[in-house]
Amino acid sequence: MKASWSQWVVALCIVCLQGVHAGEVVAKPSERLALIKQRGALIVGVKTDYAPFGTLNSAGQPEGLEHDLAADVARRLGVSLTKVSVTGANRLQRLEEGVVDVVIATTGDTVERRKIATMVEPNYYASGVTLFMRPDQSIADWAATRGQKICATQGSYFNRAMAERFLLDLQMFNNARDAKLAVKDRRCVGYLFDNTAIQGDLLLPEWAGYKAPLPPQLVTPWAVAISRREQGTELEYFLGDTLAEWHRTGFLVERERAWRLPPSQFLADMRTLWTSLGSDGKPVCVRDAEGRWPAACRNRIFLNSTDASGLRRLGLWWKEQTGMDLSFVYDSYDRSRFLLGLATTVLLMVLCVLGSIVVGVAGALVVEARIPVLTRVARWFCNIGRMTPPLLVIYVFVFGLSSALMHTVGVAVEPMVVVVLCLSVYTGSSVMVSFLEATKVVRASEPGYRLRLLTFKQILPLASPSATAALINVSKATMMASAVAVPELLSVVTSIMAENGNVAVMMNTLLLTFFVLIFFTTRLLDWVDRMLRGGMP
Amino acid sequence: MNGHETAVWQALWVWTPFLLGGFAVNILIAVNAMVIGTFLGWGLAVLRLSVKPRVVRLSLLITAFTRNIPTIVFQFYLVFMLPSEFKLPGTSITVGFPGWLIASMALAIAVVGFTSDNLTKALRDWRQGDHSVAFLFIPSWTSYMLIIVIASSTASIIGVSELVSRCNTVVNATGRTSLMLPVYLYACALFFLFCYPLTQLMRKVHTRLAAGMQTS
Repeated sequence: MKASWSQWVVALCIVCLQGVHAGEVVAKPSERLALIKQRGALIVGVKTDYAPFGTLNSAGQPEGLEHDLAADVARRLGVSLTKVSVTGANRLQRLEEGVVDVVIATTGDTVERRKIATMVEPNYYASGVTLFMRPDQSIADWAATRGQKICATQGSYFNRAMAERFLLDLQMFNNARDAKLAVKDRRCVGYLFDNTAIQGDLLLPEWAGYKAPLPPQLVTPWAVAISRREQGTELEYFLGDTLAEWHRTGFLVERERAWRLPPSQFLADMRTLWTSLGSDGKPVCVRDAEGRWPAACRNRIFLNSTDASGLRRLGLWWKEQTGMDLSFVYDSYDRSRFLLGLATTVLLMVLCVLGSIVVGVAGALVVEARIPVLTRVARWFCNIGRMTPPLLVIYVFVFGLSSALMHTVGVAVEPMVVVVLCLSVYTGSSVMVSFLEATKVVRASEPGYRLRLLTFKQILPLASPSATAALINVSKATMMASAVAVPELLSVVTSIMAENGNVAVMMNTLLLTFFVLIFFTTRLLDWVDRMLRGGMP
Repeated sequence: MNGHETAVWQALWVWTPFLLGGFAVNILIAVNAMVIGTFLGWGLAVLRLSVKPRVVRLSLLITAFTRNIPTIVFQFYLVFMLPSEFKLPGTSITVGFPGWLIASMALAIAVVGFTSDNLTKALRDWRQGDHSVAFLFIPSWTSYMLIIVIASSTASIIGVSELVSRCNTVVNATGRTSLMLPVYLYACALFFLFCYPLTQLMRKVHTRLAAGMQTS
């Protein structure tokens, strides 16, 4: 009995302790923080060769966006700031040796680096890969770079991934200078490089008018780094809270503007995230009882199944077990994109099938009505419709005619409408031919037969196999819309794939989804065909 | 004719060899797709005429499968899933799949379905002694090839340097957006001038053959 009493007391104490600690973060004391306060100075490793993040000004003084961040940390600690210049090769080593307390030096946050240093969350900036292009270059999205000649520098870590995900034809150069000159000489469409470095180039008078409008890909977040031994200490929490406040107050966005950097999507998104309120009116991004940021506020590339809950946990667990990244199922952003793409594709299919039927029926009726000029026009319309590639006609309308229309009438052409019209004309022409052929056959046995809306049922049994085949084909051809940036399934899948690198999973999903879609389209058309014929007198 | 129009005609004339080269790639892709697809489809057609119901069912299943895969999707599937380079076993030679071959293989899947369906009928007619009816397969096959020539323009989406893709190259290389509409229309005209006469010819051949059958 005595033993059980003491067990009860222990259990009660644990409950009490947890109750006390809930809501308040317990951090380990930090040796480093004590040292900083003792010496009265914070030693930060910064860069001096990466404008505008860390550079030397004309007076030879180090300055830059990251230098401002270091100064703010020192101010908050109430100590002076000592800056030590570090390079990409030695920054984490200096940390390990204890020469510097903190590193703020364009350090990309990766799973590998997290093994040798503590990367403080949230991240304060992000860089990716973009294209440096001539002023007159008309490429407006990554999909348009497929198969194009792109200049790149040898040895860049992203060359291979970018070439594989966007099917780029890379032309290798030894250094950035040669690659940029090749862009100038029109030897390639653009130069593939880190967007932060390209933003620096664009500020130079030499490259006035040049641009880099494509959204950065393979985005790597940048982190403030401290020693591996400082993980979970007061120092990490202090820096994490400071970073969170920088996002909340807009300090980072303001510094970015001050250093003439173009506004980055990353900082805008982070500011929205860190200032967002939950349904209970409380901020979403607050530390939990163990001092961790909630999964929603962390970079999803560093999450593993123990950090997440619900569907995401299951998805990450599956990814860790099998290597298959089903982000379009467990990640809410990818999932909503995927579903929107699916809905757009289904809508395109329905509209194109209906449009083709309308064009086919109307065309056949006009030809059969034997109106002198109109019949001839309809026949030629049909011939041209069938013998010109719909993709090319879509380009004619979307790119060629839209600028003309914009100038004269001020109307912007909606790409999706153009796709539906062009595909309806292309397929409608084939449908029209099958109706007319069937009419000819009926007329052979019944000389007085004329095709009218009321006599349509008579040709249906003859015409429907080829007409149905054409309608199935048009539902397969709707993917052409991806060429003019309509967010249908194919373009959504390729962009999810480019961001997550899960090429095989997404390609198999795409193939399977279309297989099912076409299967049901075929069934549906067969059913409609049977109904129409069943209703025959 | 004003100065602007003259400049446009001149540009089209200068780029014509480049554009025609692109059109040759379209035809190459289409012919290859027809060869690959006909070969495989012929196999399926023979299986469909088998006396064993299980073999027939299998062949029908594969045919249905090829009908349900859009060629554009299959094109993407192949270009991303096939290794970009691989070593020939036992040698040190590395080979890759060029874009036009990938496009041909993707379009071939449509040809497989077509051949399987149409050749089954033709082979059945042939075996029943209706040789002239069986010959109708030839004009429909050629007409189908013209459809594939038109479909080969979608190879531009995966970056194959065929006519449509070369139109974009011309617009980019000259940096003149005013050239866009004329270049695209010019390419449309090339497709039409190639496909229309051949389609008409094949229709005549078809009618002639069909008429010949009735008289014989």
